Amino acid sequence: MKERFATGFDPFVLPFLVGMIFVLGYCLYGIFRILFQLPRQDRRRFLLSLITPKTALKNIWDIFANCLLHVKLWKRNKMLGFMHSSIAFGWFMIILLGHIEVMVYCPERVRLLYYPIFFNYFVAENESTIGGAVLFFLMDFFLLLILTGITLAIIKRVRSRIFGMRRTTRPSALDRVGLYSLWAIFPLRLLAESFTAHISGGSFLTIPANWVFRQFLGNDLNMLPTWWAYSIALGIFMCVLPFTRYMHIPAEMMLIPMRNAGLRIRHPRRGFAKVEVLSCPGCGVCIDACPMSVQKKNIKDCTVYLNRQIRRGNEKRIEEISDKCLLCGKCEAVCQVGVEGPKLRVAQRAARRYGLTPDYSGIDVAPLTAAAKGSKVLYFSGCMTNLTPSIGKAVCSLLDKAGVDYKWMDREEGLCCGRPLLTAGRIDAALGLIRKNEEIIMGSGADTLVLSCPICYKIFTERYSLPGVRVVNYADYFNELVEQGRLKLAKSDICYVYHDPCELGRGCGIYDSPRRLIGQAAGIAEAPACREESICCGGSLGSLTLGFKDREAMTRKALDNLYASRADAIATACPLCLATFSRYSERPVRDLAEVLDAVS
Amino acid sequence: MDRKTVLIIGGGVAGMEAARHLRLLGCEPVIVEKSDHLGGHVAGWHKLFPDMLSASSLIERMSEGLDGITIYYKTQVASMNRLKDGFSVVLTNGTGLLCKAVLMASGFSLFEASRKEEYGYGVYDHVITNSDLEYWFNTGDDDRLPENPSNIAFVHCVGSRDLKAGNPQCSKVCCMTAVKQAIEMKEKFPGAQIWCFYMDLRLFGKKYEDFYINAQRDYDVHFVRGRVSEVSEDIDGKVILKAEDTLAGQQVKLKADLLVLMSGMLCNEDTAGLASMVRAEVDSDGFMRSKDNIYGINESSRPGVFFAGACTGTKTVPETVAEARAAALDIFNYLNTND
Repeated sequence: MKERFATGFDPFVLPFLVGMIFVLGYCLYGIFRILFQLPRQDRRRFLLSLITPKTALKNIWDIFANCLLHVKLWKRNKMLGFMHSSIAFGWFMIILLGHIEVMVYCPERVRLLYYPIFFNYFVAENESTIGGAVLFFLMDFFLLLILTGITLAIIKRVRSRIFGMRRTTRPSALDRVGLYSLWAIFPLRLLAESFTAHISGGSFLTIPANWVFRQFLGNDLNMLPTWWAYSIALGIFMCVLPFTRYMHIPAEMMLIPMRNAGLRIRHPRRGFAKVEVLSCPGCGVCIDACPMSVQKKNIKDCTVYLNRQIRRGNEKRIEEISDKCLLCGKCEAVCQVGVEGPKLRVAQRAARRYGLTPDYSGIDVAPLTAAAKGSKVLYFSGCMTNLTPSIGKAVCSLLDKAGVDYKWMDREEGLCCGRPLLTAGRIDAALGLIRKNEEIIMGSGADTLVLSCPICYKIFTERYSLPGVRVVNYADYFNELVEQGRLKLAKSDICYVYHDPCELGRGCGIYDSPRRLIGQAAGIAEAPACREESICCGGSLGSLTLGFKDREAMTRKALDNLYASRADAIATACPLCLATFSRYSERPVRDLAEVLDAVS
Repeated sequence: MDRKTVLIIGGGVAGMEAARHLRLLGCEPVIVEKSDHLGGHVAGWHKLFPDMLSASSLIERMSEGLDGITIYYKTQVASMNRLKDGFSVVLTNGTGLLCKAVLMASGFSLFEASRKEEYGYGVYDHVITNSDLEYWFNTGDDDRLPENPSNIAFVHCVGSRDLKAGNPQCSKVCCMTAVKQAIEMKEKFPGAQIWCFYMDLRLFGKKYEDFYINAQRDYDVHFVRGRVSEVSEDIDGKVILKAEDTLAGQQVKLKADLLVLMSGMLCNEDTAGLASMVRAEVDSDGFMRSKDNIYGINESSRPGVFFAGACTGTKTVPETVAEARAAALDIFNYLNTND
């Protein structure tokens, strides 16, 4: 091994060096800025988590698995998984191997940022030595891997359907600059290394290429321009990186430890939210997932565009997108980096100032508490169930049949659970109602609270503090009654397809109890998109601005998905889904309680 | 084909009246009626406002003019094809017809009150619709009506002027129907309190306002401006209404023995199918689209296709009768100019 240049420098490294220093400086500044934006207790928590061995190890593993190997993406889409991991992992390995080469052969140069990248230009090594042969082989191998990935990326740009993506984002102008420079980097590296392969050594890829080039370009003068081109491509990519979607590469490495430390979004734009927004790779998986995307005009209201508008600071569009969303949570469920689209929007809504804040402190809970007293089990139906009375009737009939001694807490009078206010971002007002309901429930002396509405159930489990009271969804509760033998179910010959309500499925993680119950009471079929992938019925309270016509299109799409199962009827476990589907469904729609009540 | 055959789709008030006049004008009307009797929705009604005319006597009087006219009961139109100067029609009973003109008198459907689940129609024991109440007036047969009601509530605009129900249009007749039925109920149950929950009262016709004033002054009917938000049922099976009185600015709760829902008018479910057979247009509200809504309500955008009555929008009985006569004249003129 010998160094070809005593100075260890050539001007062609400058574009790379400028880009590298810029991007490192930018990221360092960003890290400090975000740390500064975090509330004090969050910052402490985050920094502590970094030095806690358990979370630190988890961070390293998560970064390796998600940022480099893209394990989550592999599970979802093999082609996309291969494409991303080949580029990310391949690139990482080339950088790592470059550093190993420098450390093995010329450790005194390791402080130079550019040396490991352009090692083959500065150093002449013979592949006949065992070290050279192995390292060069590995370098060529990973370069080939990356080139395969890049080829797939180019195909995907032209025909995204081959990769199972119906729609993908339109890259912005800078995104295109980043994209094309990224595509250019690796073919240029192959070219550059091929031109020097007869001097510096190479392997199965570079040596044959070198031989081919020398047949018609037999001149070493071509060497330098290709290294320049390689360096310029790298320089451009790194200079535009902070302003393109490729910012997700460094940002995700920050997001993973922050999430592992248990941080939450507390401000719509700053701190953790900022890292989430920057971590969005703009892949557009959320576009196909979003129920609104059934209408072309709403495509730009998906989470990927929210992130883009937040990065651009387009306040008008941010407000629009934040208000329109149904908060069904599917974008979050399919997101590869875990951007919490709904939470970003609720935080945005919560940042608004209203002239009037409702005050619920004057509500007298004494008569409501008196009406709830007397049983160990309380049933809270909620406003939505009261608007679909068949559900409440069926729930009570089932409870009676099972011999449960219960009180229907809001049969005649009741307070809202607070969730509509919470999703509208009016957190203080919601808390006002929550405190009142807590008072009633704690005063009733009950130890179990059964809820038939998943919208209520979610806020009861997340925001209510009810020590000694078990909050249970009716699906889980009926399951227990069946297991205890208190509720007997016959089996009817109707076949139902079960629709997972957003709030119960993605919202609370309850997927199996309703299925088990329906399976015992009737036949059950699955729709093509079910469980985490279930499509919002379009009736969600989450949206503040969507009109009925827009919602109708979504409902019809969700129904089409359910019809595809060829079941006779649709079963669901949410009064709002029931009301929304009933409006347009060609097949009967029943609530879980009605399905069970018919056969018990 | 020199006989002036006119196909009339629907044997309700519009179809009957148009048929009578077409025959007087020398045409040969043929009525196709999907049920087994003439008179449509009106035949199921008890008394008609504002003169409290008996609906059955009206239908009887109208039928007298139809002697000798071909009427196909329990029959629908299977297909219609436009010929050079007319239509070739096949009916579901297998009959084939050649006619010069088609009159759509297919009317409306009543909104299914169970679709407004919050009112509990079909779920609670004492919730009925306006049409159920008329049936009870006629037959006295309905278990849902309580023995001695002390409170009876009427809810206006059920499924009309309601975007959520997909029905933005006003059904026009239900305000007045509610006032009429409220008075009739008060006459039947003098001890009962009658409550009408409305969002607007649209009492536009002759003598309608008098009815409204009478209802308040002589029958003590309470009119509450505000929509009913939800309905529940107590242990005794009474219905509990929660509503807002927007004039008093407060929430109200009422325990009623009977709840009557003023179901609105929807376009007939056959409208789109019939329209497509003759390539007539359907409007955004689902009803047939007239050539224009001022000067050509009876005419479609297609030659030889005419409209009468509620197939183009919600109508009262006198409006329908007037339109039917106008349509008959339009058809007569059309046939004469095309000869």
